[in-house]
Amino acid sequence: MRESSSTWVRNRNIVRHTPKTLGSVSQTVIFGVLVLVVGLIYVTQGTKATSYDYELSKVESEIAELQAQKEDLAFERSKLTSIGANSSSEVAANMEVGQVSGYAE
Amino acid sequence: MDNRVKTLRVVLFAVAGIISLRLFFVQIVQNGKWVAKAEEQHTLENTIKAKRGEIYMMDGSEPVQVVMNERVYTIVIDPMVANEEEVGKMIFGEDMKGYLTATKEEAFSDKTKRYFLVARGVPRAEALKIQSEELSGVYIKEGTKRVYPEGTLGARMLGFVNADGEGQYGVEGALNDELKGKDGLLKTVADVNSVALSIGDNNVKIPAEDGKNVVLTIDRNVQSNVERILQQKMDEFGKDQASAVVMNPKTGEILAMVNLPGYDPANYGDVESADIYINRVTEDPYEPASVCKGFTFATGIDLGVLTPETTYTNYGYETIDGWQIKNASQYEYLLGTTSIQKAFNWSLNTGSIYALKLIGGDATQVTEEGRKKLYEYYTDKFGLGRETGVELYESLGLIGDPVEGDGRDSLYANMTFGQNMLVTMMQVISGYNTLVNGGKKVTPTIVKGEMKDGELIEKQRGEGEQVIAETTSATMREMLYGTRTAYRTNGTDPAGYYIGGKTGTAQVIRDGKYSMDEWVATYVGFGGVEGELPEYTVMVRIWKDGETTSAETYALPVFSEISNYMIKYLKIKPKEG
Repeated sequence: MRESSSTWVRNRNIVRHTPKTLGSVSQTVIFGVLVLVVGLIYVTQGTKATSYDYELSKVESEIAELQAQKEDLAFERSKLTSIGANSSSEVAANMEVGQVSGYAE
Repeated sequence: MDNRVKTLRVVLFAVAGIISLRLFFVQIVQNGKWVAKAEEQHTLENTIKAKRGEIYMMDGSEPVQVVMNERVYTIVIDPMVANEEEVGKMIFGEDMKGYLTATKEEAFSDKTKRYFLVARGVPRAEALKIQSEELSGVYIKEGTKRVYPEGTLGARMLGFVNADGEGQYGVEGALNDELKGKDGLLKTVADVNSVALSIGDNNVKIPAEDGKNVVLTIDRNVQSNVERILQQKMDEFGKDQASAVVMNPKTGEILAMVNLPGYDPANYGDVESADIYINRVTEDPYEPASVCKGFTFATGIDLGVLTPETTYTNYGYETIDGWQIKNASQYEYLLGTTSIQKAFNWSLNTGSIYALKLIGGDATQVTEEGRKKLYEYYTDKFGLGRETGVELYESLGLIGDPVEGDGRDSLYANMTFGQNMLVTMMQVISGYNTLVNGGKKVTPTIVKGEMKDGELIEKQRGEGEQVIAETTSATMREMLYGTRTAYRTNGTDPAGYYIGGKTGTAQVIRDGKYSMDEWVATYVGFGGVEGELPEYTVMVRIWKDGETTSAETYALPVFSEISNYMIKYLKIKPKEG
């Protein structure tokens, strides 16, 4: 008996698996690019961190300056409210001597 | 191959070989040296200076700063690099006159020098002006100095800070460890402008621990007024030395501690003698004289062997160990049968010697038992010759052993009225606190607490130990009130108040002998209202070398004035009736 052409057969679509490899030049280029990218990321992060350091340094200088101003003002205030300053003030000079008027219970 | 190519190849290999060898030498053999050099260039290593703690006094119930820090700057030039004209204009101008340590000519006399200090203690405003000019070869270094808004107030009690930043004398010296804090360290990678960078693996930042802000128990109003009173009286009496201390006898808090003459702590070097730095209240032992009779009589009363009404026969003198010990007052009307209260009022040495005899259990003689008991009360209970525990430098003084040594009987007979012994004013007033505060031994204190984030954190203090009976203390208040009011005050105490005290006129030892021409006057007493524990105790000491200064004439009036001030300041209500 003649075999029919429509007889079921296995799928004859054949996929050819050919190993695709990069050439040595490509590999070098990709490796180089990767190193460059990682390097750039590192440098960017480093620069970013350093820029924060400069900002921090500036803020610290401002804090130190404000602190110094605060200390100067505190000293001025203490001098102005000191016993010596008060007792020699015009107000003190014009005060009258108090009289004992008894104690309220 | 072409010979020239071959030659070039050989040369190239040779050069590469030399470079490789050099690299090996630098990178491997000399690795440590070059790493260190590189680190030196890009590593910033700075000490983070701890801020010295400030000192506060009380202003009533509010702490106020009396010793503060001010930023000041030191200016150094590099004469080789600095421009003489520019530097001369900016640094050697009129504004900087008070801070210069050299003239312009001196600074630039040797241009090979790389370091020359030209100004110190420069205020911030001036330093900022110079800094803004960005002069090359000019370096500005920040530092701090102590500043005193109250001027000379309490100088000898406060002490000062020397050029090395170390506290000297007074509170600054005694509490130096607490005040100075602990420096920190910053070690980090830095750029050319010395800006610290966070990159790098070995960065170190140990923050500085700032010193504690110490709050003293001293009330600046009391301190100031006691200084004023003392100075007035010194001028009036022509005396040149005086000390006073005011305390709360219930808590042991010191409200004022004055030593005159004082000095300006901001210019502590401008003094004639270092003696002026001494805090005589705690560091200068002296013979207390008759104020000690209070301790002797309290010992007898506490042991139950005498009362103020106990009598003895006053012959005007006593002979002990072959030595005749006389009373200062030789009035005939004082001779004969005399009560202990009268002996106290007239400060009769024979009375306190009689008390010592009773303490020893034999009314006819001084005994070892009596000496031992008096020693125990003097030292253990009243703290004479011992550290009081106040947070300041203290001298111990000297209390002779009751057993070891010759002539113990005469030594102890003299000690009953404060001779042949050395104590400090702090010991005496602390002992008197015990006599009048209900019998408790309260440790004197000058530190109220610490100022933290604008709040006063008060130091915890224990209750004093009961060392003599409350009744003994009550009797002593009566006796002190009696002796003050009987003959000595002439109406200086306001009505309605209960004020007592005892005089002490000490002969000064010159060339190993008691001088008849040189005395030191002291007075110690308390104030408050009858039936209540006293609100304050005051001790005064006043003298002038080479002069007689009696307690009744000189120390008592000073006490009276301070006492009257304290009544007003503390708003103590008088007792009616």
